[in-house]
Amino acid sequence: MSAVLELDGLCAGYGPMQVVHDVDLAVRPGERIGLLGLNGHGKTTLMRSVLGLVDWRRGDVRLDGGSLMRAGPHQVARRGVVLIPQGDAIFPGLSVRDNLDSGAYMSGSWRRRDERRERVLGIFPQLADRLGQTAGTLSGGERRMVAIGRGLMADGSVYLVDEPSLGLAPGLAQRMIDAVLSLELGAGALILAEQNRALFEGRVDRVIRLHGGRVAT
Amino acid sequence: MTIVVTTIVLASIYSLVAIGISLTWAGLGFLNLAHGVIFAVAGYGAWLTAEHLSEGPVAVILAGMLVGALAGVFVCVVVFLPLDGRPNAEIRTLMGTLALSFLGVNLLQEIFGPQPKALPSIFEWGNFEIGNAVVTADRSGAVVTAVAVLSLVVFALLRSRVGLGVRVLTQDPEGAALVGVNRRTTALAILAVSGALAGLASVLLAQVFYVSPEAGYTPLVKGLIVAMLGGLGSVPGTIAAAVLVAACEALTSTYLGGQYVLITLFVLIAVVLLIRPRGLGGLLETARA
Repeated sequence: MSAVLELDGLCAGYGPMQVVHDVDLAVRPGERIGLLGLNGHGKTTLMRSVLGLVDWRRGDVRLDGGSLMRAGPHQVARRGVVLIPQGDAIFPGLSVRDNLDSGAYMSGSWRRRDERRERVLGIFPQLADRLGQTAGTLSGGERRMVAIGRGLMADGSVYLVDEPSLGLAPGLAQRMIDAVLSLELGAGALILAEQNRALFEGRVDRVIRLHGGRVAT
Repeated sequence: MTIVVTTIVLASIYSLVAIGISLTWAGLGFLNLAHGVIFAVAGYGAWLTAEHLSEGPVAVILAGMLVGALAGVFVCVVVFLPLDGRPNAEIRTLMGTLALSFLGVNLLQEIFGPQPKALPSIFEWGNFEIGNAVVTADRSGAVVTAVAVLSLVVFALLRSRVGLGVRVLTQDPEGAALVGVNRRTTALAILAVSGALAGLASVLLAQVFYVSPEAGYTPLVKGLIVAMLGGLGSVPGTIAAAVLVAACEALTSTYLGGQYVLITLFVLIAVVLLIRPRGLGGLLETARA
C-alpha cells in the first residue's frame, strides 16, 4: 500500500540550529498517528517542515508520491495538507465566520463553505452564537475551537494538528482532541502531536515518539 | 454648509487614494511610494483617451482606472514580486518605489512636457444648492462616483473569496499561506485595485485641477497621512480618517487661511496618534489580540 505522506531522511532547522534529524515516516491512507514528545523535541518543527515553514530543510517530503520540497507553503496547503498550528492561530481582527470561511479558501471548498460551516458548528455548537463576533475577543477555549474549526473547513487530505490541547483545562482539552479524532479521513491521514499520551491513548493507529528531534524506537 | 460640502468632496477623494496605500501596506508590508506617480500616470491615460479616442465621461473614467490598475500591476511586478521574501524586503521595496516615483515623474515630464493638461468635464448635470452652499457638478459627481466605487470595493472585500484572502493577509501572512492564499497573486490584485482607485481619484481631481507630472505628490502625502491615521488595513478606519483630515482642512482654510492647513493637520495627527497609536481603525474594529 502506498503512503499518503512520506518523510524521507527529513532534517530541518532554523539558522545554524538543526531541530529535526533524519526523520523517516510513511503515513498510510486512513491512518491516525499520534506524535508524542516533550516540549522542545521537534514536534512543531517537524510539522512545520512539511509545509516548508522552517528556515531550511533537507531530505524529502512526498505527498501521494510527489515531492513537496519545491512548493511554497500555500501550494502545499492547496494540495491538501492542513496544518492546525500550535496556540491560537486565528485571524484576531476578523469575525468568527470569516475565520472559519478562510479555512475553505481553496476554490473547491469555497463553494461548499456553508455546508462545511454547519458541520463545524455541529462539532462546536457554542460558536454558532458568536459567528459575527471578532475572533480576538473570544475566550481561549473558543479561540481554539475557531482554530480547529478553520482546519476542518478545508477539503484536506493530510491533517497535521499541533497540540490542540495546549493550555486548556482537561475537559476542554479532551473535547478538542475528540473533535480532531472525529474527522473522517477517507484516503487521507492525520498526525496529532501531543505531550500527554493519555489524551489519545488507544484512539490512534500508532504512536511515534520524537526525542531530541529523532524518532525514538 | 460650504465646509461640510468641501469636507465630503475631499474625504471621498482622499479615501480613494488612501485605501490603496493602506491595504498594500497592511496586507503586504509594502509601502508604495509610487502611488503618487500611479495617480499621475492614470491622469495622463485619461487625458490621452480624451484627446484621441473619446471624450465620453464613462470612457475617460474607465481609462483612468484601467491605466491606474496597469501602473499598479507594473509596480508590483517590477518592485514587489522580485524583492518579497528577501532580507530587508520592507526597506528595499520602499526604496524601489521611491526610485520608480522619481523616474516616473521625470519620464512624464519628458514625454508630455511640464504644461498641465486639462481633462474634459465629465459631469454636466449643472449646479445645485444645499443650504447656502453651491455644489458644482464636478463636486457632486466626484462624491457620487467615489462613493459608488468605494462601496463596490468594500463589498468585494467583505463578501468575495479574494477579498477574504486580502483581509486574511492583513492579519497574519503565515496563517494566510496555511489556508492556501497565494501572496503573490493576491499582491497583484491588491495593487491593481489600488491603482484603479488612484486612477479614479486622479480623474475626479482633474475636474478641478489639472493633470501634471507632479500631480501625484500631494495626493500621495495626504493618502499616507490618512492611511496611517486610519489604522493600517482598516477600511472603515481609513474612511473615518479621510473625513477627519478633510474636515480639518476645510475648517482651517475657512477660518485660519490655507497656509495653516499643514500645521493644523500635523497637530491633528499628533493628537490622534497619541491617543490611539494604531490609528482610528482600533476604535472601529475591536481588539486585535
